[in-house]
Parts: sequence; C-alpha cells; structure tokens
Amino acid sequence: MATVDSRTAYWEQAREQGFDLSWLSKLQEHVAGEGVEEQSANDTGRVQGSIPRGDVARFGAYTFRTKSEVWAHNLSKLYDEFITRQWSSATDIPWETVQPLPDDIEAAQCQLATFFTQVEFVASDVPGRFISTMSPDYQEVRLALLAQVMDESRHLDVFRKRALVNGGGLMRMTDSVSDVVGGSTDNAREFTEFSSRLHITGEGNVLTLFRLGEMMAYNEAEKAIYRRCAQDEARHVAIGVLHLRYMNEFSPERREEIHGYLDEGESRQATGAGGENPAGQNQLTSSALAMLLGGGKDKMDEGQKILMAIRQRQTKEYFQRLKSAGFDDRIHNGRVSPVLLEQYKAAA
Amino acid sequence: MALDEEQAHQTDEAEGDPAKSPETPVAPNPDRLAWMNDTLEWGIRAQPGKRGLTMRDLNIGSYGEVPESSSDMSRRPRGAFPISGVPRTDLYALSARVDLWADNAVDLYEEAIQRRWMGHLEIAWDEITPQPYEVELAMRQLCTELAQQASIETDLIGQWLHKMNYAYHEVKTFLASEIFDSGRHYTVFRNRALHNDGSLGLESAAQFNRRMMETRPGWTEVAMFLYLVRGPLTLLLYRCGEAYARNRADKFLFRKCLEDKARHMAYGMAHVKYAVENQPEGFGQGLGNLMRGVERDLVRDLKDPVLWEALAIIIGGSVDNIAQGMAVVEDVKQRYIEDYLRRMQWAGVNKTEDNLSPDLAAFLRREETAPAGD
Repeated sequence: MATVDSRTAYWEQAREQGFDLSWLSKLQEHVAGEGVEEQSANDTGRVQGSIPRGDVARFGAYTFRTKSEVWAHNLSKLYDEFITRQWSSATDIPWETVQPLPDDIEAAQCQLATFFTQVEFVASDVPGRFISTMSPDYQEVRLALLAQVMDESRHLDVFRKRALVNGGGLMRMTDSVSDVVGGSTDNAREFTEFSSRLHITGEGNVLTLFRLGEMMAYNEAEKAIYRRCAQDEARHVAIGVLHLRYMNEFSPERREEIHGYLDEGESRQATGAGGENPAGQNQLTSSALAMLLGGGKDKMDEGQKILMAIRQRQTKEYFQRLKSAGFDDRIHNGRVSPVLLEQYKAAA
Repeated sequence: MALDEEQAHQTDEAEGDPAKSPETPVAPNPDRLAWMNDTLEWGIRAQPGKRGLTMRDLNIGSYGEVPESSSDMSRRPRGAFPISGVPRTDLYALSARVDLWADNAVDLYEEAIQRRWMGHLEIAWDEITPQPYEVELAMRQLCTELAQQASIETDLIGQWLHKMNYAYHEVKTFLASEIFDSGRHYTVFRNRALHNDGSLGLESAAQFNRRMMETRPGWTEVAMFLYLVRGPLTLLLYRCGEAYARNRADKFLFRKCLEDKARHMAYGMAHVKYAVENQPEGFGQGLGNLMRGVERDLVRDLKDPVLWEALAIIIGGSVDNIAQGMAVVEDVKQRYIEDYLRRMQWAGVNKTEDNLSPDLAAFLRREETAPAGD
C-alpha cells in the first residue's frame, strides 16, 4: 500500500505529465455533510452532498428550495419499501381465476375499473410535475414521489387489464374528476396543498375502498388486485401523513393555511364533488359499487347500505390520519365538516 | 343520450343536498343505470399469454387503435365510452402520436417490471471493502457523476410526462418505469460513493445536462439528447464500471444499471426513428442541424478532466498508472463518438463524420490502444 509520502510523489509526477488531479485533492478534503440544508442553493442539479464547482451555469430554477416546504421524516425507509414491494400486473395476478360473471356484475366491475384506469394517472402526472420543480437536495421526497408515479402507472395498467379480460371492456368515462369545485389536485401549485389533497383526502378514500376489496371482488384475481393496490396506496397516504406531521412540528405558522386545504378536501368528500372518491355520493361509480357490494342489479338496496358503511369507514380512517398528523384539533373545535362528523359518530 | 342521463342524475342528487342531510340508502333509479350500456366493445376478451397478461395483450379490437392525434384533453382512457360536455383537464402539449410514440414502449414497460431489482437488498454491500485509496476516491467521483446523470434524467422525464396525452398510455407508463429506474440508479450510485465512510465527489461539468433541461421544442429533441447522445456515454461508463469492478457487488451494480439503461435507449431510439420517419421530410436533417451547437457542449464535457481522470485511475488501478488508464479512456471516448454517430444514423438523423464538430471528430482519428471493457 502506498504511503502518504509516496502518494504525494507520484501525484506530482502525474501532474507533471499533464494530468490535473486537483479534483482528487478536493475529494480527499471533502467529508460527507450532516443532514439536509434548510435552504437549497442548488441550481445546477448536483447530487446532494457533492462538491459544487462554481463554474457551472445555473439551470435548475427549482421552485421548491426550502426544506420546510416539502420535507417529511423517514421517507428513505418508505422509499426502500416502495422498491421492495413492487409487483407485476402481468404475472402476480391470477388472471385464470377470472371466470364469466353475470352481465350486471361484469359491467359494474368494468365501470369501477374504468374509473380507476382514468384517475390513477392523476396521481402519476401531478407528482411527476412536482419532482422536476424540487431541488435535488430534497431527494428523499423526490424518490418517494417518483416511486408513487411507478405505482400509479401499474394501477392504471392493472385496472385496464381487469376491464378487458372478461368480456366487459372499458365503460363510461368519468366526468367528475375535473375541477367542478375548488381544491382539485390538478390545480395545486404548492406542495403541501397538493399533498393534503392527493395523499390525505383523495388516496386516503381510495385506500379504504381497496382495503375492503374482498367485498367487491368476485374471484381471486380481483382480490389480489385490491389487496396489492391497497398496499401501494398505504405508502402514498404515508407520504402525506409524514409531510403534514413535519409541517405541524416545524412550520406551525402554516397550520391555519393547511386547515384551509383540509376544509376544501372535506367539502369534496362530504358532497362527492370533484369525483376522486368512487364511493362518494353523486358518483357514477357509487351505483356500480352498490351493485357489486349487494350482489347484483336487483340487490342494490343492500349494496347501498354497505356503501354507506364504507363511507363511514373512510371518514373514520381520515380522522385517524388527522390525528396521526397532528391536525385532529379540527375534529373537536367544530371546524370539521358536520357531514363527516356525523359519519364518524355513526361509525363509532 | 349519455349526457342527458348524466345531467338528470346530477339534478336528482342535488335536490337531496347530501352535504346537509343525513345519508339514506337511495332506491335504484333505472336511469341511473344507463352506464351499464355504455361500452364501445362489449364481449371482447384479452387472453393472457406465456408472459402473463401483458399490456400488449390488451391491444385488441378498438382498444388497440392508437390514434395519430388526439384532441381529447380529459383523461379518458383509450377505448372508454366518451361523453360530451366534459371540461378539459389540462392542455396536453404532446397530443400527436409522432411526438412521443415507439412501438416497443408497451413491451419495454412490462420488461421493466419483470426485471425490477432492489439495490438495498440485492447488492452485497458488505463485499464492497475499501479499495486502494485513490481508486476509492476515483470510484466516488465516477459514482457521483452517474448519480447526477440519473437525477437529471428524473428531472427531464418529470418535466415532460404530464404533457403527454392519455391516448398514448403505453409511452406514459413506460416512462414512469424509467423515472423509477432513474431513482434507483441515483440511490445505488450515491450509496456506493458514500460506502466505506466515503463522501461524494465534484458535481458534473453539466454543460450537456443544461442543454437537455433547457430544451423546449419537443420530446423528440429531448429524446435524441437523452437517449442518442447522453445514453451511449452512460452505457459505456456502466460497461467500464462492470469491466473494472474489483468485487462482485460493484460488478452486479453496474450490470443491473446497464440492463436498465439499454431498455431506456431501446425506447428512445425507436421513438426518434419513428419521429424521423413520420414527421415531414427534412425533420431528420433538422435534428442533425440542431446538433451543431450541442456538440460544442459535448466537447466541453469531454475535455473536462474530472470524470476522465477518475475513470483512468479506476482502470489503471492507481495514480501511478493513470497514463495507462487514460489510454483506455481515450479509446472509450472514441467508442462513444462512434456509437453516437451509429445510433444517430440508425434513427435517420443526418449526422456523419463529415458534419461532425471537428473537435469531436478529433476523438475518432486516433489509433486504438486497448479494449474498453466490452
């Protein structure tokens, strides 16, 4: 092994031969930094912790360059879970178990699958847009979001497959996912606003539904789809809960603003407006769900009752997320939507 | 009419004002079930094949008809029953097939999923023991460069993905898999640099990163830069990393990234070729002309010593042997330029040695000295 003296000598020889090697000295002196900067001065797309050169043109123009705007604890662990729990819609779903179903059940399943095919990529396009506007110094957040983009693509894919595998096909497109009321995920320009809408409200509701997938499934393939999608959605919801928890702890001055986002989300959840919640009232999908839950077109009354219980459970789980994130004061101080509060009490 | 039914449905519900009244089960309304007839192709069945039920298996009947352009600015899945009166969700700038399509995207998406791997579990990190001091520093520099290349790839795709129309979901889902790969590449290279109590090296020279990020005319131009210009270089660096790895873990890491990158380039090359063949005559000529300025950026990056000296130390095994290592590096650069020309020509872009920047052409006019690890 070379000693420091001999190393110095042949580094010098190399320089005499025309090699630069100044970078090698810089690396030698560089030690890994601790933690993530509160403010990011990274305008060149460099890797967090790498050595800035000083002569690189600034092209980053990242909108999000403050840690408190985007951060959440434990995202690295969550990202590892994203990596570990990937699955294949082609081979991990037992498609052979899908057998011909009565037309009404098949149509209902396909209508629901059409809805998910349409909306799942909302949760792909929008995070994608945020990734490229966020400083690479906050790479943990970017990684969690890009992993979500992958998951949502697979969801689009698996529900399209379900629609086409058993003779039904894609059904009517959904028109209510557009911005008929305020507070749409698509329109969010601020990260916390976006995350509260997408992760806390929108995907939270879908997560409850996927968790109850056994009730809507008519074969092992459908059970597997809902079970695997529920695992994925739980990670997406976790991004939002972890972020809100961080905001509650480190940006308390923004609590009132965040409550405003939650007001909007609750309004959408209570009325079904906005259409992200397939179990919501006024939804094309709610009659399809009632058919699946009841067991057919002629048993939709029974299905509606189950659907009502599902909405109550959605609210219960939403309240749990508020509590986990530290925003449950709204449940007790009269700010929470009265409709949701009523559902919560009914579920208790 | 589906629209009338939808409006009637909404009016009925509004009268109940569910926001203010307790929920009660709603009796089935025959009109509310009109959606049960709203399908364009009832009775069609996608059949799983040897590789399971793939996305390509779904492209049957009207579901497989990929439009030349789409004016649909909602998120209507291709083949779903359309209804009128839906407000636009977004303005999808890439709404023509020629702007993003590649026939192989649908298969590459499934391949990406089948060949997924886990850097934190599958790489035997404990086998990466400290290497000779200078090699370890050089390895950190190489890995910093590669992590930044991956991060820029994430930014680039993130910038364009949401502009792509839903009629082309095969491409959107493939690019989602690529952005996921780029995140994994970033992570493994950053972790490799930091392994053994390491630290990161200098940021990239970045002229070409800047060029890619600032490109606005279209995804095809970005694709040419990302897959035909940057891609061959990344591939060669991965190959060198694998060929000169000093342990199984490093070898595995570079090989897996190489497999991913080859898949990305398969899409990119196919897309650029498709665009050149289907855009108006002269498009390939235009892409070639665009490269005149871009090649100046390439030259600047190729002359920056940091990455290349690091690679020379890894190949030579020490600073003492850097000259020998650099001889191989010069071969790598030559191969890079040759590969760049070959791929551009394959895709139909007017790029030959005759119209190559003289500074880049200089890399071609030398005698090869050693194999570059493939």
